[in-house]
Amino acid sequence: MSKMQSILEKLAINPVQAVEDYKKKTGKGAVGCIAPYTPEEIIHAAGMLPIGLWGGQVELNKVRAVLPAFACSIMQSIKELELSGSYDILTAVLCPSSCDTLKAIGQKWTRKDVPMIQFVHPHNRKLPAARTFLAKEYQHVRERLENVIGEPIPDEAIVQSIQVYNEHRAVMREFARAAGAHPDLIDPKTRHLVFKSAFFMRKEEHTALVRELTALLDEAPVKPWDGPKIILSGIMAEPDSILDVMKELHIAVVADDLAQESRQNRVDVPEDGTVMERLAEQWQNMYGCSLAYEHEKTRVPMLVDMVKKNQADAVVVAMMKFCDPEEFDYPMIKQTMEKENIPLLQVEIDQQMQSVEQFRTRMQSFVEMLRHE
Amino acid sequence: MAENVQKTAPSSREMLGYYLNKSYQDAIEGKARGELVCWASSIAPCEFCETMGIHMLYPENHAAAIAAKHGAEEMIEHAESMGYSVDNCSYARINLAYMDIQKCVAENMPLPDFVLVCNNICETLIKWYENIAYQLKVPIIMIDVPYNYEYEPSEWAIDYIAAQFEHAIEQMEEITGKKFDYNKYREVMQIAAESSYWWTKAMGMAAAKPSPLNGFDIFNYMALIVCMRGKTGCRDTFKKLAEELEEKIQKGEPAFKEGEKYRIMWDGIACWPYLSHNYKAMRALGMNMTGSTYPRGWKLDYDKDDIRSMARAYTSVGNNLSLEAQIDLKTEVVRTYNCQGVTYHLNRSCKCMDFLFHEMQTEVARRTDTPYITFDGDQSDPRNFSKAQFETRVQGLAEMMEQRKS
Amino acid sequence: MEQALAQAGIHLEDAAGIVATGYGRMNSAYTDKQFSEISCHAKGIAHLLPNARTIIDIGGQDAKAIRLDDRGMVQQFAMNDKCAAGTGRFLEVMARVMETSLSELQEWDNKARTVAHVSSTCTVFAESEVISLLSAGTPKADIIAGVHKSVASKAGSLVLRIGLQEDVVMSGGVAQNRGVVKAMEAELKVPVQVAPNPQIVGALGAALFAYEAQMKKQK
Repeated sequence: MSKMQSILEKLAINPVQAVEDYKKKTGKGAVGCIAPYTPEEIIHAAGMLPIGLWGGQVELNKVRAVLPAFACSIMQSIKELELSGSYDILTAVLCPSSCDTLKAIGQKWTRKDVPMIQFVHPHNRKLPAARTFLAKEYQHVRERLENVIGEPIPDEAIVQSIQVYNEHRAVMREFARAAGAHPDLIDPKTRHLVFKSAFFMRKEEHTALVRELTALLDEAPVKPWDGPKIILSGIMAEPDSILDVMKELHIAVVADDLAQESRQNRVDVPEDGTVMERLAEQWQNMYGCSLAYEHEKTRVPMLVDMVKKNQADAVVVAMMKFCDPEEFDYPMIKQTMEKENIPLLQVEIDQQMQSVEQFRTRMQSFVEMLRHE
Repeated sequence: MAENVQKTAPSSREMLGYYLNKSYQDAIEGKARGELVCWASSIAPCEFCETMGIHMLYPENHAAAIAAKHGAEEMIEHAESMGYSVDNCSYARINLAYMDIQKCVAENMPLPDFVLVCNNICETLIKWYENIAYQLKVPIIMIDVPYNYEYEPSEWAIDYIAAQFEHAIEQMEEITGKKFDYNKYREVMQIAAESSYWWTKAMGMAAAKPSPLNGFDIFNYMALIVCMRGKTGCRDTFKKLAEELEEKIQKGEPAFKEGEKYRIMWDGIACWPYLSHNYKAMRALGMNMTGSTYPRGWKLDYDKDDIRSMARAYTSVGNNLSLEAQIDLKTEVVRTYNCQGVTYHLNRSCKCMDFLFHEMQTEVARRTDTPYITFDGDQSDPRNFSKAQFETRVQGLAEMMEQRKS
Repeated sequence: MEQALAQAGIHLEDAAGIVATGYGRMNSAYTDKQFSEISCHAKGIAHLLPNARTIIDIGGQDAKAIRLDDRGMVQQFAMNDKCAAGTGRFLEVMARVMETSLSELQEWDNKARTVAHVSSTCTVFAESEVISLLSAGTPKADIIAGVHKSVASKAGSLVLRIGLQEDVVMSGGVAQNRGVVKAMEAELKVPVQVAPNPQIVGALGAALFAYEAQMKKQK
């Protein structure tokens, strides 16, 4: 087995196993972090395992009685998993209130033994008052978590965790760059799994593995790529089967703007201020994300820059069906891409999607179209 | 309402029509003179703009008017051609399309010089107004009220909202180039408080048995509390309405002369394109909507000398409450207005309301021992509603209420 | 109306009372009264099977779940949204796509070895899925079993919304399809009875309402 393969194997995703192993090894539990953004550093500092909750491909049964069909598939599957007890292995769950659906998901929580810790990110982000608010909001999260685990989470531990997370973000940005240069070695699904595995592992371990992987990629010769190079933008590009289709069509994902992937690593936690203020300021500095309010919509020029910088052929918007924030950004992206002459394809994302035929047809026609250009 | 008094005092309905029309006309004429126009969300703090003498227009109200006049479909299709999804809020789609084509079946609305948004109704408003500001390149004043996931707003949320009020005043001074007039501000707050008082009082009269108020009239009168809360015309109209209703109660004149067979609560926004259909289908069954959350929607009581009290009022609006608080609110509506059943409008445009229905329905029904129905519809997209389905469901509700009587 | 009277061999004047139900109930000129399908199905089922507490009625246009109390009164009901997925109309579309007829669906279902996955949220989407399955060589019987499962799952969520209580009874035309009934049992994990002559339960309920009104009058 090659060195690269052995690293990738260690990055394999098995959430239940990860939680059980972690409990056995450390005697400490895991805390669920509902997508998209939570102050994981606080959980990490408590010595616990933060687990990303981003839904999954599950059959929707119980949820259909409690949530209308026009909620996005991430929240549908999260609710289904909750109702069927899959999250009962967790010590607590954090839930942001970034959109109307998330607000409801936090309120509808039913598992009495797994406390729900809901919180709010402010929208008026640039005001100093927003930082103060969010710092207190995070402090409230911290106190509720301390209550659940019955011990304090000291400032120094959080400072250390911030360090670990910033380092992880930097390593992930490096990986994204190296993977973009080596589509021959890292196919779309592998790329996705490297990002996703970070949600089921302590970040220091993930950092070490990905750093090693990136070094291997950087050692490898850069080979010319004759397939289309795309930028993926959206909440997520799942189920994995759509990434398999991309591989079959010889598509390279040279960079991404996915909430589940690069948006997680876009902005570091800054150095100055009290611990909670530092975490809060990271949200103030966030940009280019549909969930972080910005009337300048920096996401739009950012995507254009990403295309240029990575010499991409096109932007593919992986549109999470029923996601208001993403759907409201799309017309502006469309407008600008047309103006800039950048080919754009919107594909609908439904985590429960069983058949990829429709996706394949759209993607394949798009690729054929790109070849003619 | 000094300047326009006619010889015989006009009815509240005439006043409603007069003032609504006036608010649009004033804005159109003002814009032509170079005065500033602001678009605002329906429960945003209008007090600041009123103080500055800015013309206020309300896209939600405008979209509802377009839908009620059967002009929604073409606007919606235009928005979809711009790239908006069929699943986005239809008010937003109508408004964003209007912004692009500036023509519609209802009154025209001059484009804004700046916008004012408060997310105490939903988070979708944030994206909607973000898009207006981005597309028109106009300033945006945002009052972000953090969602109250706990029963009461936190003190730090109140601090944050209060700080935004202060920031809004600064922004307003910058936009208008004028100093904020705190004396005028106190007057406006006084008028807004009186408007809220008379609105709540008039709407509250639906609690009488039988009700003097035809519940669907709430949907008509609502336009004024949305559009003119800071103006005396609004206050005077609802004062007049309260007097009229009081008189009807005294004289024993119910809204339904044929008898009010059932009293129900309507949860959610109206189905504007089918307002008269819905009304007729319900009236045919003797069903009056006596309860809704609208009377409480603009019950913004606050201490005029305390900005934190104002912050608390604006964040404690229906949709921004926790599930538990919303259940309490709705239980209270059912009880206060003696409702025998509830219809929940599963509104394709409003994820914010819909996604808590299951828990709300079950619990409100349990506490009040009343049956309920859910019907599928949309506040302004006419394609998301079926008349026959609606009729069957409200009839089903009537039959369940009838059974409980016996 | 005339046709129905002729078939029954009676004249309009013979009817002591007429109650209308179903789509078009508002437009019937002959009727004394009209009731919603919900109450009529409840009435009919309560008469036929007094132990029934949950009714699943899948007709051509609508799918509904109705919960009855001990007296056979409607306690709560839930219905499908505007989309036709999960209704008889959905089965019709699927039968057409698979070049078979409504009446043959259950025979096909009998031959299924596994149940193919068919989306249950949207008719249009399900149609394209079925076509993909066919072109991928999935046996027709398995797809049809999948279509039945999809109908059952849609109706099952309506049942969950009102709360499942036994006995569970199916009415409406679709209940004649054993494939759907079997899928319904698998979905709810409880036995599901089929009302005798399920397609006329609503009409029976309406007749019972007319009869009761007549009895009251005579008192």
